[in-house]
Amino acid sequence: MYGLYEYAWLILAAPLASFAVIVFGTRMADLWSRHHGQTAQDYAAYLREADPAFAAWETARGSGGHGEQQHAAQAAGHAGEAAHAGHGGEAGHHGDPYDDDPTVPYLTPWAKLSGYVGVVLMLLSCLYSWVLLFASLGLLPGTPRLPEEGITLFSYTWGSDAAFQPYTIAFHLDNLALAMTVVVTTVSLLVQFYSQGYMAQSAGYARFFAYLSLFAFSMLTIVFAANFLVIFVGWELVGLSSYLLIGFWINKRAKPAEERPAPSSAALQAFVMNRIGDVGFILGIMILFATTGTFDFATLAGNGPHGVAQAFAGNQALLTLAMILVFCGAIGKSAQVPLHTWLPSAMEGPTPVSALIHAATMVAAGVYMVARTFALFSAAGPQAFEVVAWIGGITAIFAATIGLTQTDFKRVLAFSTISQLGYMFVGLGVAGTEIGPGAGMFHLFTHAFFKALLFLGAGSVLHALHHAMHREVQDMRLMGGLARFMPVTAATWLIAGLSISGFPFLSGFYSKETLISLAFEHGNYGLWAITLVTAGLTAFYMFRAFFLAFGGKGGALGGIWGGPYRGEGTPHESPVTMTLPLVILAVFSIFAGYWVGFFQYLDPHAPLLDLGKIFSDGLTWLGVALSLLGIAWAYVLYCAVGWERVHKVVEANAVLRFFHRLLLHRYYVDTLYDWIVRYVVLGLCHVAAAFDRFVVDGIVNGVAGLVMELGSGLRRAETGKVQAYMTVFFGGIAVFAVVVFVLATLR
Amino acid sequence: MGLTLTHFVVLGAVLFCIGLYGALTKRNAVAILMSIEIMLNAVNITLIAFSFFNHVKPYANLLTGQIFAIFIITVAAAEAALALAMIIAIYRKRQTVDVGEIDMLKW
Repeated sequence: MYGLYEYAWLILAAPLASFAVIVFGTRMADLWSRHHGQTAQDYAAYLREADPAFAAWETARGSGGHGEQQHAAQAAGHAGEAAHAGHGGEAGHHGDPYDDDPTVPYLTPWAKLSGYVGVVLMLLSCLYSWVLLFASLGLLPGTPRLPEEGITLFSYTWGSDAAFQPYTIAFHLDNLALAMTVVVTTVSLLVQFYSQGYMAQSAGYARFFAYLSLFAFSMLTIVFAANFLVIFVGWELVGLSSYLLIGFWINKRAKPAEERPAPSSAALQAFVMNRIGDVGFILGIMILFATTGTFDFATLAGNGPHGVAQAFAGNQALLTLAMILVFCGAIGKSAQVPLHTWLPSAMEGPTPVSALIHAATMVAAGVYMVARTFALFSAAGPQAFEVVAWIGGITAIFAATIGLTQTDFKRVLAFSTISQLGYMFVGLGVAGTEIGPGAGMFHLFTHAFFKALLFLGAGSVLHALHHAMHREVQDMRLMGGLARFMPVTAATWLIAGLSISGFPFLSGFYSKETLISLAFEHGNYGLWAITLVTAGLTAFYMFRAFFLAFGGKGGALGGIWGGPYRGEGTPHESPVTMTLPLVILAVFSIFAGYWVGFFQYLDPHAPLLDLGKIFSDGLTWLGVALSLLGIAWAYVLYCAVGWERVHKVVEANAVLRFFHRLLLHRYYVDTLYDWIVRYVVLGLCHVAAAFDRFVVDGIVNGVAGLVMELGSGLRRAETGKVQAYMTVFFGGIAVFAVVVFVLATLR
Repeated sequence: MGLTLTHFVVLGAVLFCIGLYGALTKRNAVAILMSIEIMLNAVNITLIAFSFFNHVKPYANLLTGQIFAIFIITVAAAEAALALAMIIAIYRKRQTVDVGEIDMLKW
């Protein structure tokens, strides 16, 4: 009956298939066809001899003796960096052979094929999900809409127990899942397409696409999950793929001067911090399962004996606790306060990864999970939603204030992501049952596009600067005026920046203003004020980043477009594989907000998004005014005055300097965690180790020692004289006889 | 008043103590062997006496004690032969039969 929808599991299967094909097929062939055991320079020399195509390619590129030239450039880069304050003697520059992941001058056809496999299968997935989206909107003649409760795509009974409902591995498709699927497949496709350009120099090119495919599969497992069991499996799988991708450049070292960790330790941090949240998540799932006997979302939300309404009747406090614990998982995955510190560190991964995983999809999994279990949160006490909303609100303003002062291009975006995820949780927390998860999900939907665009744009900038300066530059103080060099990137970045700032008629405007007005309408004035102020802060730090990177004092259009370039070399616009996704995402960033039926799509009882009301509401324009104020203030500081003077003023004023330090060091939360781990956790570990060494081992060794001492003492009784033995023997018998006699007599 | 069980038991006990005293105090291994023989024979006397004076049915007419005694005599003969052989072997090795000097049976 739902013929077209029945095959939606193919969307899930395609990335898994491409993962398998790349890992076991094309990547193997790539490794096989490569020349092993030598450096990239030797390899280039080998290729020059062996492959006429490579020689031609190299001549066309104008870099015969590629390796030597690159070395010279690196030496120059090193000298420049040493002159730069705070960087002298650091290991974190491109020329250090120990800080460099292997690069290849030339991708083998098999490596390229790996990329094509990933992109093509993801393209098919993406097209199919868009077809299904249109079908579910009723736009495809002959195909009915999805039923409200959705359809089951796949179900396998994993195990059963008399005390519980049978637990299944089940995938399920409904409008909520479909909306998320579209986001995941679209952003995945664009990011994979973009990665073909961005990762073109990397030796792990095939592996990178395998990981991206694995991630897409894991994320879609979360999206299609029909029960807590499957969502948890997907949850851990995205954690794994996130770990693999953050630590992709495994040889890169930490850069203490820029407070940047090594990718490998950043990956570990992300993994471990997520485990902290997952402890709560799994505890919440266990409370739900132990009480209701089922993992299934639909059964839990239903009115049957296994639904939370009946199972937790008279014990709502326990349900509230369970849902808050489940939300802990979302806190970890979506990097909310207090488990937010892994996300800025995760920026050490390749930028396409940051765009896909740490901006658009994986970090939104927490939001999606809360939306998916929205009915359960509604059934719990109001405290559950209050926790969601307030964690979100606190995170939103907390991260936004940190974003004001960061100088690392990607970190600004990371804190912006944390802040926007906070918005989504505010949306979920304040919406109430009549609107449903729509408000939060709507912001997720629009945010995914413009945030992916911001990250990919940032990646484009970093790529260009890497080629211009022959080292990795993420510091915005070394950028400036880039709009002249890379107009496409700058223009699309500007659109995304306006969208995230809530500029009218762009997608971010609709989703964000809806959230803010919801907080006001539901009488939550504290959260309303927080989100409103955060909107202004968001606009400020976004345009601060824009003006620092792309504009500057003295540029065209009053400093908006171009300005003095503070770096070295001449950056160039990125190749079309990188700019095309930017343009596509820019289109989405503008128009994604015009899906006025979004709330109704997720929940048929919810109202339409009332555009007229949004435009006529004075509070909306208050938010817009604050955003414009933020933009204007950023313009004043970074285009009219110039960041050097701003910096001098801040440094001269004790109060401003204090706040600047506080925000620059991210409220010292990382320092605090470092301190806690260093002294409290490790201290406890030392206490436990001492307990183990002295008490546990002491008991064991003490018993053994006692026996040894007794033995060595007692062996002196063994004289070897037979008469002594005989005396003791008969004496013992005599004593025994006396004892028996006495006992027998007394009885 | 004829002989009663008590006479035999006391005789056995006295003999046993004499044998025990000898076994514990004598230095000569042969003397110790002889003392052990005395102890065995003390036990024989008590076994036979208990058997002889037993009037409890259905054991009254059984010769259990006597047969035990014959077993002990047999074993004692074998033991004497074995022990004398060992004593001779030790004497050849150590040139002594003083048990105070034969103290290799220790750790």
